[in-house]
Parts: sequence; C-alpha cells; structure tokens
Amino acid sequence: MKRELRLTVNGDEYHVLVEPRRTLLEVIREDIGLTGTKNGCGAGECGACTVLLDNEAVNSCLVLAHEADGQEVVTIEGLARGGALHPVQEAFVEQGAIQCGFCTPGMVLSTVALLDRNPDPTREEILHGLKGNLCRCTGYVKIIDAVEAAKCLLREGESQ
Amino acid sequence: MNTCVIGKGLPRIDAVPKVTGEAQYTVDLKMPGMLTGKILRSPHSHALIKSIDTAAAKELKGVRAVIAAQDVPDNLFSFYQWLADKNIFCTTRVRYVGDEVAAVAAVDEDTAEEALSLIKVEYEPLPAVYDVEEAMRPGAPLVHDDKESNVTWTVQRLFGDPDKALAECDFVVEGKYVTHQVAHTCMEVSNCVARWDVKDRLTIWTNTQAPHTQRQEVARTLGIHKRNVRVINSFMGGGFGSKLVMDMKLPIAAVLSKITGRPVRIVNTRAEEFTTAKARYPYTMYLKTGAKDGRIVARDLKVIGDAGAYHDKGPATINFASMMFGTLYNVPNMRFEGMLAYTNKEMGTAFRGFGNPQVAFATETQLDELAEKMGIDPVELRLKNSNQAGVETACGAEVCGCGMTECITAAADGIEWDRKRGKKDGKTLRGVGLANMVHTGGGGRFYGYNSAEAFVKLSDEGTVTLITSALDMGQGSHTAMAQIAAEELGVRLADINVLSHDTDLTPYDLGSWGSRATYMNGNAVLAAARDARRAVGEAAAEMLEADTKDIVVEEGMVWVEGSDEKHDLAEIVEHAVNAHGAPISGTGKFVDKLPAGYTIPTAFIKNIPCFSFGTQAAEVEVDPETGQVHVLRVVAAHETGTTINQTMAEGQIEGGVVQGIGYALVEELVRADGKILNDSFLDYKIPNIGDVPEIKAICIESLGTNGPYGAKGIGEPGLVPTAPAIANAVYDAIGVRFHELPITPDKVLRALQEAGRSK
Repeated sequence: MKRELRLTVNGDEYHVLVEPRRTLLEVIREDIGLTGTKNGCGAGECGACTVLLDNEAVNSCLVLAHEADGQEVVTIEGLARGGALHPVQEAFVEQGAIQCGFCTPGMVLSTVALLDRNPDPTREEILHGLKGNLCRCTGYVKIIDAVEAAKCLLREGESQ
Repeated sequence: MNTCVIGKGLPRIDAVPKVTGEAQYTVDLKMPGMLTGKILRSPHSHALIKSIDTAAAKELKGVRAVIAAQDVPDNLFSFYQWLADKNIFCTTRVRYVGDEVAAVAAVDEDTAEEALSLIKVEYEPLPAVYDVEEAMRPGAPLVHDDKESNVTWTVQRLFGDPDKALAECDFVVEGKYVTHQVAHTCMEVSNCVARWDVKDRLTIWTNTQAPHTQRQEVARTLGIHKRNVRVINSFMGGGFGSKLVMDMKLPIAAVLSKITGRPVRIVNTRAEEFTTAKARYPYTMYLKTGAKDGRIVARDLKVIGDAGAYHDKGPATINFASMMFGTLYNVPNMRFEGMLAYTNKEMGTAFRGFGNPQVAFATETQLDELAEKMGIDPVELRLKNSNQAGVETACGAEVCGCGMTECITAAADGIEWDRKRGKKDGKTLRGVGLANMVHTGGGGRFYGYNSAEAFVKLSDEGTVTLITSALDMGQGSHTAMAQIAAEELGVRLADINVLSHDTDLTPYDLGSWGSRATYMNGNAVLAAARDARRAVGEAAAEMLEADTKDIVVEEGMVWVEGSDEKHDLAEIVEHAVNAHGAPISGTGKFVDKLPAGYTIPTAFIKNIPCFSFGTQAAEVEVDPETGQVHVLRVVAAHETGTTINQTMAEGQIEGGVVQGIGYALVEELVRADGKILNDSFLDYKIPNIGDVPEIKAICIESLGTNGPYGAKGIGEPGLVPTAPAIANAVYDAIGVRFHELPITPDKVLRALQEAGRSK
C-alpha cells in the first residue's frame, strides 16, 4: 500500500505516494527524478548513493523513504548555489579528484558532512571520514588533496 | 616546447558536470514506455538443461515477454568469430554459475524479479572442473562436449636457442608462478537500453569502451545487418577493459524490445557484476631465466591461461603478454609457450594491462631471485640490462624512445633504495622492492590496421565542436583531445565541446583500449585541428588583408603579427560564412603505418607502434601478529613521452597503483563448488581511502615516438609492475618469496611460522 511521504529535497517540498518498502535512493532517483545520486551496490557498501539527511551523510540505499518523512535531504544537485560551486566541489574540480565521476557525488557529500562536523580534520580523520566511499579510478590520492584544499577554501570563505 | 594548453594540469572539461550531478550516465536514462529486463542465470557450474517451463512467468500480471534459447537466433558468438562458442542463451547445457538461461521484460523491477522466480528449469548436474591444470588432464570433464579437449588455443614463439644458452649460463633460476582471478568492479555496473524501432533499426544505449566494434558484435550475434544497429554511449562509470567486448545482455535486451515494441533496460545487480561481467585471466606460469656475465641471456616461459567457460580476449591477452615479455629486456634467446584452457568459471576478458601484469609478476619476481643468486643488487641487475632507445630486441621489437634507465633511477632514488634495501632496524619488518615494466603506449595493429579519424567544426560564435571516437570511460581522453584541439586552434579549453557518443556520428574506430586513445585519436585530432587552423588562417588573411603566415590565433583572439588590432575568432568564422558561404571545419586522419612485410600471424612484435617503460618501487611493513602487508609508499616512474595533462597523467598512475595494490594483496574471487562466494563489496574488498599509501607519480618525458607532441598512452602502465614491486619488498622485509598472488595475511602468517619468525 502506498503511503504519503513529505520530503524537502534541496529546499523544494515534495509530496509523493510511496510503497513502504522503497528506499530513499529509489524515491530520489525514480520518483523525484534527481539522478545525480548514484546506485553503486544497493547494499550500503560503496557510498555512491550518499546524501545529506538533516545534515548527516547517509547511504540513501539503506534508508527507507518513509524513515526520512518530514526531513531535509540534500543531494549533489543541491550543493551549488546560484550557479557557484560549493567550495568542496570547487576543490574536487581543481585538484583533479574526479575520473569517471560515478563515486563523485557521494564522495563530495561525505566530504561536506565531514568538514561540517570537523572543519579542520587531520589526515587520519579525513581517511576515516571517507572510508565508506569507494572509488575505483583515482587511487584516492587527489581526493585527499581535494579535501585538504576544501578545508582551506571553507576557512577562507568564513574569514571573508 | 612552448605551449599554451599542452602539459598543463588543467581541470578536466567534464569535471563540473560530474561534480554537480548533472552528468548523465547510461544507467540514468529514462524513456517513455521503457520496460525492465532481467536475466535468469544458471545456479549450476555445469549441468544439462532438461526442460524450461515459462508458462507461469508469462501469466504474471505486468510481464510483457519471456524468452529462452528457442526465441533468439541460434548464432554462436565470441570476440574472435573463429573461436565462437557462446549462444545468446544456453541451449542444452550451462557452463558456469551465471550462464544466461532465460529472460523477461516486465513493467517494473519487482515484477521482472517475480517472473524470473516463476520460470521452472530442470537441470541435470554434471561433473565440473575449476582448476586450469586439472582441466588440461586427459579425462577431465569437458566444458564444451563438442571439443576434444579443454585446451582450446596454443601459441609458440622461439627466438635464438634458449636451451643451449641456458646450459651455458653462469646462473639459472626457475619457478612456478600463479596469479588469480580479480574483478574490474567499475562503479557503474554494466547496463543497456535497447530499442528496436518500427523501421527495424536497433538502437542500443550502453556503457561501452568500443561502440563501433560492439555494433558489429551485436549485428553478427543477432544475424542482422550492422547498418541497422546504432550504439550510443553516455558518461561512463569506469571500464578498465570490462566493457570492450559485447555482453549478452545487449542482444537479449534487443530481442525483448523487438517482441514488446518497447525500449527494454537491463542493468546488472552488483552481484551479477561480480559473477558475470568477466574478470582478469588467471595465469599459471613456468619460468626460467639465465644470466651470463651479468646479462640476462635466456628466458623460457610457459603460460597457462584459465579462459573460464567461454572464449573472449584470452588469445589476445596471452599474445600481448608474450610481446611485452619479449620486449622488456633485450634477451637474445627466448621461448614463449602459451595455452588457454576452459574451466567451469566466469570467463575472462581484457583488464588493465591485458595479460602483462600477470607475466610481469613472474618475470620481475624471478629477476630478484636471479639477482640474489648472482649476489648483486636487483637495481644494479636491472640497470645493467636496461633497454635503450634504438635497440631492436631479439624478437624484433624496435624500441623507440626509451626512458627505462631514467625510470629505474627515479624510482630507486625516490624510495631511498641505497639507504633502505636490506637494512633492518631490529624492530619493524620493513622492506623495499622494485619492478620494471613495458607496455604499449599506443594500442596495437592486431586488427591488421590501426587508425583514427576526427572532425573539427567551428560555429559562428567561435566555439569548437570536436568529433572524435576517443571514448572517455573516466580516464580523461575527452580532456586530452580537447587540449590538443585547443592548442592547435589557439582557443581556450573551455571553448571546445567534445562529441564521441554515437556510432551514427563518430568515425569508425577500434575503441578506447591498449592505452591507445592519446596516441591514435590524439594524432587524428591534431590533424583535424591543424586543418581547421589552416582555414582560419586563410579566412583571417583575406579579411585582414594580410599574409596567412602572419596570422596569430591565441585564446580565441585573432590578429596580424605586430598589430594591436585583435579580433574575436567568431568574426573570422562569420567572414568566411558571409563572404563565401563557407563555414570553417577540419578533418584529420591518423594511420599508424604497418611496417614492411607486416602480416597479422607473423608480425608478432611489430604490432606495437610505441613502447612505454616504467618502474615502481614499493616500501612495505609486515605485521608479524596479523600477517598483514602494509604498503607504506610507492614511487611510480612512468614514461609519458610528452605529458598532455600533468594532473590526469598522475591520476592514471595513482589509480593504477592502487588497483595494483588490491591485485597484489587483497582482491580475489573466491569459489565453492564453482559459485563465487564474495559477490559484494563487503566480501570482495577493493582498496578504500584508508588503504592508500603515500604515492609519488613521476612522469618521465622521453622523446622518439610519433604520438601527438611525442605523447605516449598512460592508461594501463600504472598497474603493471605494482604486484611484483610489492612482492619483492615483502621478500626484503621478511625473507619469504611469494610465487602466488594475492599475498594475503594467512599466507604471510603461515610463511612466518614456517620460518619461525611469527610471535
């Protein structure tokens, strides 16, 4: 039986009728039609489907859509504001942290969540914060560079 | 070289769409009326199909079609048609767990899954064989009962007299080396949408590295003319060789679409990706190496490749590995014997390095064993035998530009070889090791030709559309092509729009593999951009009443040398249109000329247009409590000829190294009774960000190739020498030589216990 679900996604409100067993990932991609959130495994093992749920990074394939009822979701499409990239996005672009790009949305959102709760992570904390996001292309070296660069960009942004 | 765009570490042209979620991958496509297809796969590794009953599945509400072998053309397929051995659906027997048996198309995924569960298949299990050497023995279960043996292909190459040379050597080492089956694990799984339209034209959207050859493969499997097949690509979530040869989901989706009149999508689950999307060929290798007066004078290698249940790229990988084996060092006496045997397992295919990492593990590990026997330093042995530019090796390889000595020195210095090798602090079990490699830097002439074409179109607002067949699966070839076009045309990188996604649009091409795009497609783009630049020069000269040789074009602005009056490139294009009705465009071709006397069967090593050498040095620490090998740092020095994009070249090397670490230490498809047990990222571990050591990627620029600006491909080399470099470092750390990959903690602990070193 479909039930009504209220979600705020990237600031927009959605009322959708959703079967109770469907995941947040499925609703975002199929019902709402935002395909920036990727499905890499469907089992919470790769992090490609990471979104922010009330500012916390979650694997949206492991969240039942109705668990997110009334909450705020930010997907990769909601990060850039007014045509300007978020500093984390900017850092990923500049540092060459992207190859095929399929892990990128999740990797970027995990980084945003990490830097939100810890604006000055050590290298160890960066590695710990992104362990749930798999990448098969980059070897992660430039992703680590990007997180370090994003840290500086965010700090500069705040001091201005 | 004085350049504006080439060599700079500029951001990729697709970085912004990818970082904002705007980039659409094939798996993101939606079409009106689209149905979901699902494939029923064999649960047995070897069995006869006694009956298939689809009646209940057909009656399920929401099911639009159910098909099995009798509903599809009865054509056998393989990458090499002369080795064709696979039907679209199994007819009378299944040969591995995952073999295609039937398929459904339904209104949604749940209905499709339910329908699969309603198909009743009666099997009669047969004895199966999983070990390649067992498969070769007389009396082994035959994977293909119409063949006399599981041995399905062999090759021999002989140069000089290795037996005589080995008998005369000062030192000889020999051993058996075994590599294992690993999965590509692209983040985007293999998927497609097929639409068979009313005009009888089949369009397939899929993530492929080779749309033009897959188009032919689909046509010949379905028995239709290839003019009726169009293949469209999108942004692609990884390839690594897994998306070169057609997957059966393409013809299956096509037939389902034809029957239903609707577009049909088939997407692998992650478990299907692990168990059916094909994997790296496991090689069992017997190798002998001999030295005389400090020179490697003889090598004898026998490779037994485990094909899995069907043919794919097996012969090609073994042939290619033998070419690299014959080129790495200039060894006057060599024997190479290769064979391929069927087993009841997931079949192999191309995987970054194409047989070369397997053989490099054996050859570069054994070289360290030889150095030890000779009592000399492994770096010294490699430097003494280092290949040089201008050499023609005994097997006929012409070594063009060669920076092997620079690579060895850079890697050894970077890892602080002299300070660390053989030195123990008595506390930690640390060691350093090093390995060399050679790979193609520009694809190959294996098809009997190697060529590429490109088109450049200038629009009247001055922007540039570049049509190239260089597929970008994530490695960055679109950006490299755009950089070449921007450099030649004198425009900004941002002004170039690259189209490469549609076989109706792009020129015929062999695809993105063999580190060939930069070299081959890059040269075609260079020619096309130069052609367009010539037309710009002529139009500008006419408009500005100057001589063409005085026209300067930079960053999209045009002027006459010495003049301050600058014009937007758009004005020049408009002038050409207005004055002559002639828009500006350019075409370019690059044909990698075949050497004199070239024939496919005999040319062997003449297949490679340019070689790319490299050296990696690794430092490891072994934990005696857990047996775990921690890679602390890797220095990877690789030839790039001329680097087109510094950041992207480093990214290719770093990504290759980390895949190589996974290959050396962790990854392995594990089976029980032929069924893969670790078909998820939880159980099949690929390196995560916490597993990454310090990696120093060094691009060694070496002259002497015909690539654009002298560039060589860098897509594959990063993975090739990583495993032997690590294995050699492990030996330095604990004195145990591993001849079998992966070097897992249980193997290390056992070895330490045997050596009495474990706590």
